[in-house]
Amino acid sequence: MSQIDEAMLIALVDGELDEINRRRVERAVADDPALAQRLARHRALRDRLSRHYAPVAQEPVPQRLRTMLEESGAVVPLARPARWRGWVTGGAIAASLLLGLGVGRMSGGEGGPIGMQNGVMVAQGALGEALDTQLASAQQDGNAIRIGLSFRRKGGGWCRSFDGTVAGVACREGEGWQVQQMLPGAGQGTTYRQASSADARVMATVDALIDGAPADATAEKAAQARGWR
Amino acid sequence: MSFERDLLAILPRLRRFAASLSRDRADGDDLCQAALERGLKARDQWQPGTRLDSWMYRIMRNLWIDEARARQRAARTFAPEEAGTTVGHAGDRDIEAHVMLSDVDRAMQALPDEQREAIALVLVEGLSYKEAAEILGIPMGTLTSRLVRGRGALIEMMGEAA
Repeated sequence: MSQIDEAMLIALVDGELDEINRRRVERAVADDPALAQRLARHRALRDRLSRHYAPVAQEPVPQRLRTMLEESGAVVPLARPARWRGWVTGGAIAASLLLGLGVGRMSGGEGGPIGMQNGVMVAQGALGEALDTQLASAQQDGNAIRIGLSFRRKGGGWCRSFDGTVAGVACREGEGWQVQQMLPGAGQGTTYRQASSADARVMATVDALIDGAPADATAEKAAQARGWR
Repeated sequence: MSFERDLLAILPRLRRFAASLSRDRADGDDLCQAALERGLKARDQWQPGTRLDSWMYRIMRNLWIDEARARQRAARTFAPEEAGTTVGHAGDRDIEAHVMLSDVDRAMQALPDEQREAIALVLVEGLSYKEAAEILGIPMGTLTSRLVRGRGALIEMMGEAA
């Protein structure tokens, strides 16, 4: 009989074991089909629960909840000027702002770098591709979009900051990138790029979202290989 | 820094947490709204530099517990309390009224509250044991035993489909 109790088994599934205990449980599981079956059941349960509720976090937030925050924000003097510049609270504003930025500068820009899906801003085209494939640690001059930081956010999931014709932060949701913040960018392809006024605001967003430290080159590459899941 | 802006950023996750605690999505959004109201009102009590999401999870969870207790009190006036059990929900009568619920919703609803909130924070929200234990104000050992019992119950209720 193995010495592995249920708490150990679920701690493995929840990623809570240190290296030594993880190896210990994995060894025991390898030798014990019944234990392996229990482990599989726990993995399936966690997977099923998280998939079941995931759509709630991906769908647009109901307007009445948004409105509460918008109205509350409007009475706070500090928040007012920054309200629509920094954070998109309404799709129409986002769309018009985006058009004003000169989407035509994006090479092959079919409808621009950001589109609306069910009321949520999502990265598309060149921006979507850059977020999928480009590594912050292997940046090349001439890329239309620079990736700033890749990091895990509180509560899980990957986010990346970007700068180009538009700057901001996007987080992985399902198969795509949900744009959390969008600002006018510093422009594209220049080696000596000026610090854009967006930087401080993008960093504030990163600070608010980040869990721990940004990913280093190895972690970033591994995350990309796993499709940012 | 805008407090509202930060709340907006975590709102999708708050809604998900509310949905996993509540009997259906509509109740979940009501809970979410109540939590936002309380959070906005108590904004001075939040310390910048600490985690806003944990703070909001805690507010939401406390509101939910208050409501669950009120519901249980109401249920007790109609039916005698069963000795020594903590029942998360009032049973068949409520479940029948929500026949459209999926297996997962139904199984979560049948869990005792203290197991359900632990499961919601760790399995649905993906928090670490340490974060979840802090939000619930319980020792880690208590959290893990609730996770073990809650999972056992869910697997039993959901059967092979789990």
